[in-house]
Amino acid sequence: MSGLSHTGEGPSAEGLSSTKDLKEALTGDRDARFVWLCNFEVENRWARGYTGLPAVRGSATAATVQRMEELGALLAEPGDHLLLDRPLDAHYRRYAERTGLGAPAELVTRAPAADGGTAAAVLDSPELLDRLRGLARDGARLMPMGASDREQRIAELTGLRPAVPDALTYERVNSKIYSRRATEELGLRTIPGFCCETAGELRHALEEGLREGGPVIVKDAYGVSGRGLVVLDSRKKADRLLRMVDRRVRRTGDDALHVVVEAFLPKRFDLNYQFTVDRHGRVRLDFVKEALTAGGVHLGHVMPADLTAAQRDELAVAAELLGKRLFADGFFGIVGVDALLGADGLVYPVLEINARLNMSSYQGRVTELFGRGDGAALAKHYPLRPAGPVGFPALTEALGPLAEPPRGRDGLVVTCFGTVNAQAPTPGGGEPPTPFDGRLYAVLFAADRAGLAALDRRVTTALSRFDTTERTP
Amino acid sequence: MERHHVVTAVESALAEVLERPVSGLTEDVRLFEDLHLDSTSVLEMLMALEDAIDISVDPESLDMDDFKSVGTLTDYVLSQQAPSGV
Repeated sequence: MSGLSHTGEGPSAEGLSSTKDLKEALTGDRDARFVWLCNFEVENRWARGYTGLPAVRGSATAATVQRMEELGALLAEPGDHLLLDRPLDAHYRRYAERTGLGAPAELVTRAPAADGGTAAAVLDSPELLDRLRGLARDGARLMPMGASDREQRIAELTGLRPAVPDALTYERVNSKIYSRRATEELGLRTIPGFCCETAGELRHALEEGLREGGPVIVKDAYGVSGRGLVVLDSRKKADRLLRMVDRRVRRTGDDALHVVVEAFLPKRFDLNYQFTVDRHGRVRLDFVKEALTAGGVHLGHVMPADLTAAQRDELAVAAELLGKRLFADGFFGIVGVDALLGADGLVYPVLEINARLNMSSYQGRVTELFGRGDGAALAKHYPLRPAGPVGFPALTEALGPLAEPPRGRDGLVVTCFGTVNAQAPTPGGGEPPTPFDGRLYAVLFAADRAGLAALDRRVTTALSRFDTTERTP
Repeated sequence: MERHHVVTAVESALAEVLERPVSGLTEDVRLFEDLHLDSTSVLEMLMALEDAIDISVDPESLDMDDFKSVGTLTDYVLSQQAPSGV
């Protein structure tokens, strides 16, 4: 991770190179103008044709995930555009500008997104499509987090040339089955496990996987964060799952099932590294971070990761091999890889390949501007439980001096505010307000890990006024 | 099956998944917000519920809204029982 040292002068976005580097890798032009679409829901689109684990319909966090598109505001350059299904909060936008990062021009859909996300809402916004046609004539490029048929349709209708590969390539290389096979074929250290494409193969994999006593984790080939996975630590639980899967096979007459079954290895910590494959197949390792996760749910990243030089070298070799393989399979662009440092001290370089923008991709310009040389950073979200919607001014008031951009000192940058109120209930007729779950995304900067921990505690305390947890059952 | 038996079974499935004792829940207790069930645990919870009350649950027939509270999940289980139980 590159870091800039700061003088006493206010930082500015002009000298930042991380997004320019990305533009050059994808288009050959450092000054390309991008129309960003941070379509987190694209994974659902890739998953359509692949039966996974039995799953409940809908999502408890869809509204929050939708608002995460606002993370793109700090990744985009001020001369870029950002597609959104509702405007950024005006106070937050002013804050973003005050940090020195700036904010892109907003392109807002005619109506808030429904299940199809912002991409579908863009397609339903004729005036916005016209605006995009104008930008296309001026040479702007479409930069989605990942491409599906919807993003391709936007490109076709507007003439915006995509800065990314086609939808079929994205779909092919983002399967966890692809990840496992590529890892094995490249001779990289692979988590013991199996690829399954039928219910019968799942039965076999569970029998083999649990032979040593388990536990094993079963993951959908196209699972999205927090869904499509189950940890099985006993035959009894495996039998429960197989019973459910077999019932579905009998009901549908189709035994297709796209999952991987892997040993649930004891670990020191999870890792996330990112590399970029440019249009000519050159691979550049961007960063390695420690990933904070709980039960398969992403919680945040710490950088730098606490690895030895040899462990870092191993990841660099893996990045190079994976990048070349992805390029040979038609992909170029940003690739995030989840990996593991096992309790045995061995690096397992691939848990899964995410060939798209990742959570940590969005922190590029923020860490470049505020990261201090050999300092440390923590990207995370703070769960809030407010009794009613929280305005950005109330948030900054609670944070006090912590809300000031951390120029040359410990502090934080708020990277997504829309998620705070995403799940706020619609005001009703005189009913008492219901507390709801919100998330505040931020990146914390300090001199070292101890400083980060202290800062994290200060932020948690400052935000406690928005937490009603103790007053509920 | 009596409603309070289903609530007890829901408690027992929750206890297994959350790996802590769960009892005395009222029906308005929310599974995600109040008990901190997370979405990765939903499938495991349904599998545990099948064992606890000897029913067959088809997850794809449920909506996340059925997981709003102890009461909504109990409603779902009872609705599944109705055809054979009447």
